[in-house]
Amino acid sequence: MTESFYAIFAMLVFPGGLFALALGLALKGLDRRLAARLQRRVGPPLAQPLYDLVKLAKKRTMVPNIASEPVFLGAPLIGAVSMALAAALVPIPGFYTPNPAFGDLLVVLYLLTVPAVALMVAGSASGSPFGAIGFSREMAMMLAYEGPLVLVVAAVALRTGLGQGGWVSFSLTEIVAYQRTHGAFLLDPVMWPALLAFLAFYPANLGIIPFDIPEAETEVLEGPLLEYSGPALGLFKVMSALKAVVVLGLGIALFFPYAPDGAAGLLVHLAKLVLLMLIGVSVVRVSCGRMRIDQAFRFFLKWPLAFSVLSLAVVALA
Amino acid sequence: MNFIKTLIQNLVSGPSTVSYPFGPAWTPDNFRGRIDFKLASCTACRACEQVCAPGAIRFDKTPEGLRFMMWHNTCVFCGLCEHYCPTDAIRQTTDWHMAHPVKDEFGMAIRETIVYVNCTGCNAKTLSSAPNPVGVEPPFTPEEIEQQRNLCPACRKKALAERGAVS
Amino acid sequence: MSLKQFISDQSRRMAARSPWIYRINAGSCNGCDVECATTALIPRYDVERLGCQYCGSPRHADIVLVTGPLTARVKDSVLRVFDEVPDPKVTVAVGVCPISGGIFRDGYAVLAPLSKYIPVDVNVPGCAPRPQAIIEGIAQAIEIWRQRL
Repeated sequence: MTESFYAIFAMLVFPGGLFALALGLALKGLDRRLAARLQRRVGPPLAQPLYDLVKLAKKRTMVPNIASEPVFLGAPLIGAVSMALAAALVPIPGFYTPNPAFGDLLVVLYLLTVPAVALMVAGSASGSPFGAIGFSREMAMMLAYEGPLVLVVAAVALRTGLGQGGWVSFSLTEIVAYQRTHGAFLLDPVMWPALLAFLAFYPANLGIIPFDIPEAETEVLEGPLLEYSGPALGLFKVMSALKAVVVLGLGIALFFPYAPDGAAGLLVHLAKLVLLMLIGVSVVRVSCGRMRIDQAFRFFLKWPLAFSVLSLAVVALA
Repeated sequence: MNFIKTLIQNLVSGPSTVSYPFGPAWTPDNFRGRIDFKLASCTACRACEQVCAPGAIRFDKTPEGLRFMMWHNTCVFCGLCEHYCPTDAIRQTTDWHMAHPVKDEFGMAIRETIVYVNCTGCNAKTLSSAPNPVGVEPPFTPEEIEQQRNLCPACRKKALAERGAVS
Repeated sequence: MSLKQFISDQSRRMAARSPWIYRINAGSCNGCDVECATTALIPRYDVERLGCQYCGSPRHADIVLVTGPLTARVKDSVLRVFDEVPDPKVTVAVGVCPISGGIFRDGYAVLAPLSKYIPVDVNVPGCAPRPQAIIEGIAQAIEIWRQRL
C-alpha cells in the first residue's frame, strides 16, 4: 500500500510530475534569457514559460474540421504523461533512487520515444499539410537518432555489467552506483565514443536548433504543432519542458553522476542541469543554423552511429 | 571558432536594446512625423489639397467658412504639403506617438475652419485667410497682416498698391 | 471566494505577460512587414521583453498584426486566417493602409478600411510606422488584451 503510494507520489509530485515541470520551466526560462543575452537582447523574464502556460490554459482550443478529435487531443496528453513518468524513473544521484519495480533504463528508453510519437500522431491527426511534413520529418529524425541512443545505452549498460562481474546491467541505480565507486564514465576514455554519440543525440531529442527540423517555424510553421491552440498546445509545452529535465538528467546519470549524499546531492544535480542547459542548449542553439532533414539524417547515420558502434566494440573488448 | 569570440563579446557588452516602452526613445531631428496645422498662417490657397497624394487633406465649403480637414490615419508622411505651403501653415513635426485605440480613430484629424468675415473695406463676405507675405517689399508688419486678414481680395490689392509694395 | 478571486487575478496578470504575435499581410507593399520583422528580430527593439513571441501559426496567436490595404484578391484568405485565431484576441492595424487605404485609397482593387471586415482594436498609423511606434501599438494592444482575458 505505502509502496504504491510512493510510486504515485514519485510520478505526480517528486521527482516526476510537478517538481520536474517546475524545474523544466525554470530551465527553459534560463535558456531563453541566456539565448537573448548572447544575441545582445534583454530577453523575457525568467518566469516567461510559466506565463506562456497560464496564457495557453486560458485560450480556446480549436479542433480542425478534418482532424480526428480524440487522437488530436489525446496525443499531447500522452506525450506529457509519458515524460512525467520518465522523470520519475531517472535517478538524482545521491538523493533519489527510483524504485526498481517501476522499471529501468529500457523503460526510460521506450518512454523517450513517446514524445516523438505523440508529435507524429499530432501532426498526422491535425490534417494539415504542414503537420504531415512535420510528421515525416519527425519520423526521419527519430529513425536517425534512436539507433545511436540504443547503442550508447547498451554500451553504458555493458560497461557497468562487465565492471560488476556480470553481463549487462540496465538498472540506472546500478549504473549510478557503479560510477560513484569506480569513477564517472565522463573521465573514462573507453566511454568517450559513447559520450560523443550522446552529445549528438540530445539536441535532436530536445529539438533545439541544429536539429529542430520537424518544428522549424520558418519552414513548416512549427510542423505538427501548427493546428494546436490553447491547453492542448500548453500540454506540448509541458512535454518539452519535462523532456529537457529527463534527457539532461539521463545524460547526468549515464555519464557523470558525481554528487554528495543527501540534500546536497539534489543541489549538485540542479547545478549540473542548469549548467548543461546553459552550455549544452542555449549556446548551441544561438550559434548554429538549422540543418536540412537530409543533412541531419546523413549526419546521424554517419558520425553518431559510427561512434556508438565503436563505443560498444571498445567496451566489449576492454 | 570565431563565433565563440562573438558570443563572449555579446555576453560581456550587454544588451543593445533601447528601453523604449519603459523609457524614452530617440527621434531623429528630421523625422517626418505627424502633420501640424497653423490656422493663423493659412492663405487658403489649397495647394496642399492639390499635392496630397493619398487625399488626406480636404477643403470643404461650409456656411461658416472654408473648412480644412486633415486625416492623420490617411497621411503617408511624404511631406509634400509642407514643401508646397507658401506660408509654413502646414508643418511636419517629429512626433510619432500616433498609435491609438480604435475608439479614438475619428479624433485623429485636424478640423479647422477659415471663417467668413465682412470685408472692412467694402463689407463684402470674404474669407479671413492670411495674406501671403512672401516676397512683399517692404515686408509686412504683424499689424498689417492682421489688417489684411479682414480684407477681400480686391481691397487687399488696393491696400497693397496704396502701400507702394511690390509683391 | 477571495482565494478564487486572487487566483483568477494572478492568472490573468501572468497570462497578460505572454502575448504571442501573428502577422497577416493583407496585400501590403512589404514596408510595414519589414518594420514588423525589425521589431521582432533585431536586438535593438526586442519585443521578447514584453513576453511577445512571433509565432508561425495563427492558432498560437493572441495579437494579430495586419499590414496592407486588404486587396480584393486577398480578402477571403485574410478573413479565413483571422477566423483561425482563437479567442481572446486583439487586432492591430499596422500602417495607414489597413486603417484607411493610405495611398491606395479608393483603388478598384483595394477594400480598405480593414475595419469594415474585421474588428480592429488598435491603429498604428505610419507609412511605414517606425519600430518604436509598432511597439507602442503592441503595448496598447496588450492593455486591451488584459481586459479581455
